[in-house]
Amino acid sequence: MKHTPLYSAHIKAGAKMVEFAGYEMPVQYTSIIDEHIAVRTAAGLFDVSHMGEITVKGPEAKNFLSQLIPTTMSKLETGKGMYTLFCYEEGGVIDDLFIFQAGDEHYFLVVNASTAEKDFNWMKQHLMDGVTIDNISDDTAKIDLQGPASKDVMKKIFNPDSIDKLERFRFYYDRFGGSAIMISATGYTGEWGYELFINNGKAEELWNSIISEGTFYGVKAAGLGCRDTLRLESCYSLYGHEISDSINPVEAGLSWLISSDADYIGKSELLRLKNSGAEKEQIAVKLVDRGIPREQCKVVSKDNNIGYVTSGAYSPNIKNGIALCLVKKGAVSTGDSVEIIIRDRGYKGEVVKKPFYKFHG
Amino acid sequence: MSKPDKGMNVPEDLLYTEDHEWIRVVDDKNGICGITDHAQNALGDIVFVEFLSNIVHSKIERRETVAVVESPKAASDVYSPAAGTIQTVNRKVEDTPELINQDPYGEGWLFKIEIAGKSSLENLLKPSEYLKLIKEG
Repeated sequence: MKHTPLYSAHIKAGAKMVEFAGYEMPVQYTSIIDEHIAVRTAAGLFDVSHMGEITVKGPEAKNFLSQLIPTTMSKLETGKGMYTLFCYEEGGVIDDLFIFQAGDEHYFLVVNASTAEKDFNWMKQHLMDGVTIDNISDDTAKIDLQGPASKDVMKKIFNPDSIDKLERFRFYYDRFGGSAIMISATGYTGEWGYELFINNGKAEELWNSIISEGTFYGVKAAGLGCRDTLRLESCYSLYGHEISDSINPVEAGLSWLISSDADYIGKSELLRLKNSGAEKEQIAVKLVDRGIPREQCKVVSKDNNIGYVTSGAYSPNIKNGIALCLVKKGAVSTGDSVEIIIRDRGYKGEVVKKPFYKFHG
Repeated sequence: MSKPDKGMNVPEDLLYTEDHEWIRVVDDKNGICGITDHAQNALGDIVFVEFLSNIVHSKIERRETVAVVESPKAASDVYSPAAGTIQTVNRKVEDTPELINQDPYGEGWLFKIEIAGKSSLENLLKPSEYLKLIKEG
């Protein structure tokens, strides 16, 4: 099994480790709920070094990327990042990713751990002259500091003016311990926060420095367990659940990512879906009965099976079960009652407006 | 005696299963059951407990499901350590499931059972055997 450069720090901190995408990763240090609340009220520090990073460079870099994504590249400029997708010709999703523009001919992609290899091969397959791509995942550590206290902690360690000026979805390069570090004001928790990219060799020093400066502000090490409950409250998609090679972006409520005029892979199918609609849609359900919906649980409305749960969990904020579900389009709307079948029994739930937790920043 | 490590508390007066339940045999006929300290620690925050409907007064076999306990990330079945008849269940943990984390051998008990016969206690693990099981993973 693979380890991130912070593996021994997690073991020392008493983390409970689980296998994820071939890596042994911390699922929790003390308690998923405590860590979730720490992120919502102070800040949490996540090791997500398992995630993939790919650089795209060269005079044709922009042109190359615009052929792979449905989102218009005009949303980008140097110092800015955006969320987008790689899709197949048939509209299914290869991966969701972040693209940061580091320069006119230089882009930095952040992809999921489990799909990094698949993404890189897909890019290689469509490579053109004037572009070089490099998979730097194994050399790059990624540490996220997320939560309302994150800005104060960052200002203790990095250039306070730069941190103060950094807007959401923007990034800049700073220095840490003699190394370059990329800092973006982005995240996956629904809170204001930062994602930090640094060479593996500096990861532990950075982690320790944030923990020691952050303790005063209530910063806690946070595992993948609360990362999942946080993103679900915020209704952020998780690849393999809300989106996959068989769940297209329109079904997943990501039509807003289909905005490019370029000739990209999947364009005709994605435009057709966007314009004439998909057969399924994503809904958010809050349980009324006490219970916790899990992935694959059936969703029933008026005795009809209308779909299934793509992600379900206990929400520490709502203090009951919540779920994102993929259901037949138009079967239900906000405010309607549905039943989720958990262990052969129907649990009453209500269709609610997304997200369960509004971005707080 | 020093305090046991997190999740390693194995009281001497109980019997255990490979599935991490415990039973306190009160007299030859009655037992109180729950999940072990190791189990609660492995599950993490327990946020929901559901007993099977109509479980009280029903006859069950050893390793039949009595309840389901859930943490934010996963659900886990709780089996009966012995064959018998379920006498009562701890309704208190339905409203305050964290009692199982806080006091797995006390206030976090799950159900009481009238044991079908002494033979149904065979095959249960002694404290030393259970400790060995969890130490060796």
